Amino acid sequence: MAYGPETGGPFDEVFAPGAHPHPHTVSLARELADLGPQALAEAGHRRDAIFVQQGITFDASGEAGPVRDRPFPLDLVPRILPAPEWDHIERGLAQRITALNRFIDDVYHEREIVRAGLVPWQLIVSRSHFARAVHGIRPPGGVYCHVAGCDLVKDSDGSWKVLEDNVRTPSGISYVLENRVAMTRLVPQFFRDYRVRPVDQYPQILAAALRAAAPSAEDEATIVVWTPGSMNSAYFEHSFIARQMGVELVEASDLVVRDDVVYMRTTAGLRRVHAIYRRLDDDFIDPLEFRPDSLLGVPGLIRAYRAGTVAIANAVGTGVADDKAIYHYVPEMIKFYLGEEPILDNVQTYLMADPKQLEYALGRMDELVFKPTNESGGKGVCIGPRTSSEALASLAAVIRSKPEDWIAQELVNLSTVPTAGPDGVLAPRHVDLRPFAVFGETIKIVPGGLTRVAMVEGSMIVNSSQGGGSKDTWVLEQHEDAPVGGEVTSTRIVSPIMPDMRYGSEWHGQQQQQQQQAPTSTGVTQTQSQSQTTAVPPGADPAADPATAHPTDGGLA
Amino acid sequence: MLSRIAQELFWLGRNVARAEHTARLLDGVFQASLQSAADTSRSGNAAVRLDWESIVAIMGAESDSGYGSADVLRRMTLDRNEPASLISCVDRAREGARTVRDVVSAEMWEAINTTQLTLLESDSNGRFGMGPYSVFQYVRERSALFWGLTSRTMLRDEANAFLTAGGRIESADMVLRMLRVAMPAPEPTEGETVADASLQDGQAQALLHAVGGFQAFRRAVPSPAHAGPVARFLLYERNYPDSVAASVDALHRALGNADDSPRRSEPVLRLSRLGADLDFRGRGAQASVNLAETCELVQSELTLIDKDIAERYFAGAMPAAGLVMA
Repeated sequence: MAYGPETGGPFDEVFAPGAHPHPHTVSLARELADLGPQALAEAGHRRDAIFVQQGITFDASGEAGPVRDRPFPLDLVPRILPAPEWDHIERGLAQRITALNRFIDDVYHEREIVRAGLVPWQLIVSRSHFARAVHGIRPPGGVYCHVAGCDLVKDSDGSWKVLEDNVRTPSGISYVLENRVAMTRLVPQFFRDYRVRPVDQYPQILAAALRAAAPSAEDEATIVVWTPGSMNSAYFEHSFIARQMGVELVEASDLVVRDDVVYMRTTAGLRRVHAIYRRLDDDFIDPLEFRPDSLLGVPGLIRAYRAGTVAIANAVGTGVADDKAIYHYVPEMIKFYLGEEPILDNVQTYLMADPKQLEYALGRMDELVFKPTNESGGKGVCIGPRTSSEALASLAAVIRSKPEDWIAQELVNLSTVPTAGPDGVLAPRHVDLRPFAVFGETIKIVPGGLTRVAMVEGSMIVNSSQGGGSKDTWVLEQHEDAPVGGEVTSTRIVSPIMPDMRYGSEWHGQQQQQQQQAPTSTGVTQTQSQSQTTAVPPGADPAADPATAHPTDGGLA
Repeated sequence: MLSRIAQELFWLGRNVARAEHTARLLDGVFQASLQSAADTSRSGNAAVRLDWESIVAIMGAESDSGYGSADVLRRMTLDRNEPASLISCVDRAREGARTVRDVVSAEMWEAINTTQLTLLESDSNGRFGMGPYSVFQYVRERSALFWGLTSRTMLRDEANAFLTAGGRIESADMVLRMLRVAMPAPEPTEGETVADASLQDGQAQALLHAVGGFQAFRRAVPSPAHAGPVARFLLYERNYPDSVAASVDALHRALGNADDSPRRSEPVLRLSRLGADLDFRGRGAQASVNLAETCELVQSELTLIDKDIAERYFAGAMPAAGLVMA
């Protein structure tokens, strides 16, 4: 294989420099070599066919306008995370999300972190996702970000860093689950020597968290998933989550608020809704409190929320912790609220609102990455080293005019994973990782997450809306000495005694023998005449039949 | 109609249904086996178990120890010497359909024949090597096609009734086999909290996937896909077409239609009683009811019904030429 990451380049997660696989990727490298580029490319064609058939698609903005219903780009080479590495990530994320949650609570209540002088109040209130409307509202359990998806990257020294916090409506979990299913179907041989932790428990975890957040109900709490509608680019995910949890997928027109209680319109009249997993931004959810022009919203929802009759996940106002300028302060938050050192570091970030940092960053424009604070999906990101000096000059003017809307970050040399091109040939491509955490009674994180791949050589833009791909992410079981997936375990099982499997004519055993002995016309007559005698069945042996043995006791009981 | 033909139709239905269930089962177990079971370390004896050894037990195949997953998978899918294999079911179904070509519609015959021919083609081995999913998927689709064509193109006569009866008794039997092998023998103790146990048995989900009822379960049952609720759903939920109760019900109707005097027919009477009994048990179905025992009783009752059917309707019919003997 001509695959060889260069020394001193980005960290490759499968091959160390010199094309030697890491210890935990030896088996994968062997399977890849056995398969060869051609078979890999063919599997890729089958993948596209399956994804299109199953409607696992997304809409992208292509050069010639929007492209609809493209098969979700899954690269068939998995990304493997050994157990200790995942443990580190898991602990780090749990810590970070706990701190973010505390921060949101603080912002809408005591503002201790502001009074301690750590985060300027001016910065907080100027964030576009700061929601005055929910001041003083504390949801059940004090949980705000029920669903979080932080974007992580692995630096060239092999350390993990947090690139972004998504605590509004992070998307991508459906692809994590579908990618795994597709991998088991398309390239089962890759799994051979690995014990991969499953991911399909996510819908159950989410449903449990939503039930935990719901105000107490007499019966089972009614949960709904709220989608902006079938035209939304993430509609596939919305319907996927609703289907997997077995709950209704609602649109705004299905919901109605009466006397501060939320109901949905059903064929059997109004039905109370206890918890809403909403997949649209604060701005749109209630025209009475937020944007009055929103047609997607439910008037009165915030009043119901304030009255505590309905849980909204994520809580209203969490966007304030999602902001790229606030991101800068997360390590401080962890120290302030939890008294701990951050397990996962930030990428070094400069706030353009600060004149000193602004000047410093503008002086190094060709080395840094510039990001607008309130955008997502990779929109508006400018990578200094890849941008012409004219473009940088005009960007500098834009930033100077509204510095509080921008941050600058050091460029992280994202790690790479071998990725198959259209011809099945492997080449290193940059990846990031978005693990999905659910904050119910505790924080649970689905092993792995969505690995996004920049499909263009050297590119670091991984967003699928910008042509990025994805990979199935495998977190390995802790104990590799345990039996490998699929092998018969050593513990013998006592199987229940089954009636024999029948394949057709065993019942005729006796007659069949006779027929074989005398396959003549007389033989046939003989069998038939014998059947006359058995046509009135004597019935089964009553002793062997619990039902007939006690015909009056109600059948099988 | 001729007893022989009735019996052929009955077994045609059984073989088609068995092929489909075998494909679903193998697919479900194969997928589950590639990943480690969800949180195996914490699962007690309440965990649902569905692995390669289970398949051997479910299908009643000769259990030679030392089979690895690949061996079991290949043997149960494409091995013609294994009577329980997927391809053996398809072969038998095709032979059966050929015998009753004049009774079933031409389209139904074609559907079965094409299925068998496609699996015969030399590349099915290669396709299997690349990923058995495509083979399972194909058999599932073709089975759906067959039953779809049956309901669209076949006269709803006695022949149809025996075909349906065969399909439904096989469905019930296969689901019971899966349940009995996969479910933990003693039910989880009552004190155990459902919420905790729910996340442990990823294999209960595999079981649902294997039957094909995952989404139906999600929509019908609010509780998590935990061993107890899954088993009750697959046993008692009449609204789910592949539950044991629904199959028994359909079998009852089919035989009731086919029989001239159903009130005096042993199998029909047994089925009435079994259906009612399942309803009773379903209503009172709490964790305290021993599901494993219920499954065993229902299955043995179905065996008796099968015998009664053979005696009442098929008695005296010669075994069809070319039928694979066990």
